[in-house]
Amino acid sequence: MSLNSMQSIKGKHFQPYEAEFPSFVAERPISSDPIRLHGNAFSTLLTPLEPIKDGSTVIGIDVSSIRVGETETGSICAIRGAIVWNEKQHYQYVRLGPFPFHVTEMNRPEAPGGPRLDASSGHNVGLLTPVETQNHLCSLVERWIRAGVSFASSRSIILWDGSLTAGMPGNPVSAISHILRVARRNSNSVLAFSKATTIRFLGWRITDLAPNQKPPCLLEVENLPLSISRTASLLGRIFAAKLAEGGYSFRLDIDRALSREDCITAVERLLGNELMFQGYPETLRLAHIYSTFTANDVLGIQSFLAAEYGLKVVPRCNIRKTLFGPFGTGYED
Amino acid sequence: MRLLKKAGNTIQILSFPDEDVEKGGYLIIEDRKAQKALIAQVIDIQFANVPGVMEELLRQPAAEDSTSGEDVDPLDIMSHILYIQDARLLVCKIYGTVTENGLGLENSWLPSRTHSRISRLPTESLVELAKIAKGRPISLGTTQESSPILIDASELDGKLNLITGKKGTGKSHLSKLLVLGLVEHGATVVVLDLNGEYINLGLTADGQENEYCNRVHVLSPGKNFKATLYQTDLFVIIRMLTYALDLPGTSAREFQHIWQFLQEKGMLTLHELGEAIKRWQCNQHVRDAMFSRYYTLVHSGFFTDNMAEAVNLEGLLRKTDSNGGGAVIINLSDTSPTDRQMVVEYVLAKLQEILSQWKIRAAFLFAEEAHLYLRETYWDDIVTRMRHFGLFTTFITNQPNTIHENIYRQADNIFMLNFVNEHDLEIVSKAARVDAETAVSLVRDLPAHHCLVLGKVVKDFPIIARIRSLNIKTMGQTRFFWNTSQ
Repeated sequence: MSLNSMQSIKGKHFQPYEAEFPSFVAERPISSDPIRLHGNAFSTLLTPLEPIKDGSTVIGIDVSSIRVGETETGSICAIRGAIVWNEKQHYQYVRLGPFPFHVTEMNRPEAPGGPRLDASSGHNVGLLTPVETQNHLCSLVERWIRAGVSFASSRSIILWDGSLTAGMPGNPVSAISHILRVARRNSNSVLAFSKATTIRFLGWRITDLAPNQKPPCLLEVENLPLSISRTASLLGRIFAAKLAEGGYSFRLDIDRALSREDCITAVERLLGNELMFQGYPETLRLAHIYSTFTANDVLGIQSFLAAEYGLKVVPRCNIRKTLFGPFGTGYED
Repeated sequence: MRLLKKAGNTIQILSFPDEDVEKGGYLIIEDRKAQKALIAQVIDIQFANVPGVMEELLRQPAAEDSTSGEDVDPLDIMSHILYIQDARLLVCKIYGTVTENGLGLENSWLPSRTHSRISRLPTESLVELAKIAKGRPISLGTTQESSPILIDASELDGKLNLITGKKGTGKSHLSKLLVLGLVEHGATVVVLDLNGEYINLGLTADGQENEYCNRVHVLSPGKNFKATLYQTDLFVIIRMLTYALDLPGTSAREFQHIWQFLQEKGMLTLHELGEAIKRWQCNQHVRDAMFSRYYTLVHSGFFTDNMAEAVNLEGLLRKTDSNGGGAVIINLSDTSPTDRQMVVEYVLAKLQEILSQWKIRAAFLFAEEAHLYLRETYWDDIVTRMRHFGLFTTFITNQPNTIHENIYRQADNIFMLNFVNEHDLEIVSKAARVDAETAVSLVRDLPAHHCLVLGKVVKDFPIIARIRSLNIKTMGQTRFFWNTSQ
């Protein structure tokens, strides 16, 4: 698919994106006004956890994407996935990619609702935007890797980055359900960690509901009236997990087809066989690190594109700087 | 290679791993539109400041880490990423500009970043371009690219030269090479040989006589190098007494009277000198002072009353000059510090006398560790006066701080071997023939037997040379307690 999409770019002009990444993006101040809940309102929903050290393999999967430049007819993005597994405290990884994709009007997928023509321009506005297309491709590669891991491993704890919510563009319910089914068939347990969640209960974020509980513990929010999009399909049982002393709380989705006890056992096996860094599994942290793109990677991919496809590199015009000179601050999309 | 930055005579060039560039090598930056080209020398190679490299390195598992893995990269993009990661920054110094009129020293113009083509300039081509080694070639060895490197002996003529480097890097070897090179071109060379390292210049490595055998004359003071008082001028003996033996001024004046008295009587012998001092009407302290110096002269073994065993240094030098050159080695290895100073005073005074009377054309003086026998005022003499008499000195030292700063500033040619000590590097960086940054950066990384040649012999283009071996019997090697070859 990557190669097919790249067929059309040979000899075209190419405007590479800046390889310098703004440093402020990753550094957002943590709120100095923590939400405090009083009493034991949620104590019945709390499940303390006991680590089970049974030698289970823990596998983390993550996929990253990045835009590397523009051509006359579209944009080029690259996607890379990483699988990291922890077997008896020895971490191993496989990185897949980078895979470059040329996203054009011709190969952009349709948005939900189908194609619609804009009467004034004649363009098909029913297509996904380039950014949505990039996310769509990213999900596609991620599903491919998740399916492969679910099929190839057994009796393992498989960690996904994100949630088990399906039904969004690029995340069809059937495809995710199939992967979970394959995983279960091989006695694997799929757990998905979200670093940020928008799910709230009575206005409180679910990860802030039980701040004073002694970790490791799970807060079962499944039966609470939560603020969740009606179009989304929840394929996982939702918990708020606080897995390490001093660590953060995360939204944790566990395959809904597993019994409650199996879900809790899966988390206890994770605790017994995996390092937790700030309450987050190390395999997943490494998978993110190995898949993510650095500025050096972007330069390398741009160099590959220029060499392999004969792209003529032309400097990208920064309109803000051209118009406003030193006052043209702010990072472009 | 891409031109990145220029500030003053420093230029920064971005280079990729497959571009073969080494420290000390030359680059030519051709701007075809301007029809000019800059010539620059690479003085340092650094990693380029590629964005994201820190993150790359942090996520690469260290060998001892408990993490291992592999990349499934069907498009081989990783090779491009690694290629960029290994990009290098070449720090270069500009040494000239090539135009249609030839090579010039101009370096104020700015070549185009987009149109310039940067390529390696082999030292061989630079030598050709700069017309180095035209005339009387001396083969130094090979360049970094293994092409032969020759220098012009004429560029040592009338010049002040310096060979310096830390112990064991091959200074004496290079010095011997230059001595024999000069001799080959008919020069008269006098070597003040502190450790007896040059005495076998006339023998091959296996002890056979070589082509220089009859042109190398070794004089060992007190053995085959003696002088009579008749051969010694009054000003020479007064210099010896004053500078080498610290005779006070009043006593020196009395000694002068005694000398003139004996000279007039035709009785200038060691024996008569002793007797005259004994009988001379003067202050007892003056007499004692003269006597103690007289006995030093006698016990040095350098002076003799026997005409047959005295060496006619003037005659030897004249013969050497007229016979097509040769080397006179003054072997100072078995002489005491005081005797050494006396002998050096004698030799230098004689040389000055012979040269000032045009009895020989000129002479090249090679002085090893000169601070051990040269008097304080002589350093200035060498820079200011001696070159006008026709005495062209080459200093050889492994202690750069022992050479006066004005020697570094005024030296015409400097042959620098490796130094790593910061203090030494700071001193040698004062050499006027090159900027301090170049000297420090290149000299610090020179391997053994490699030399950075600076100055007129290389037309002020610093060149790194691997000094060739010589088929002569070596004497300057360190003697060891344990024989490691067994």
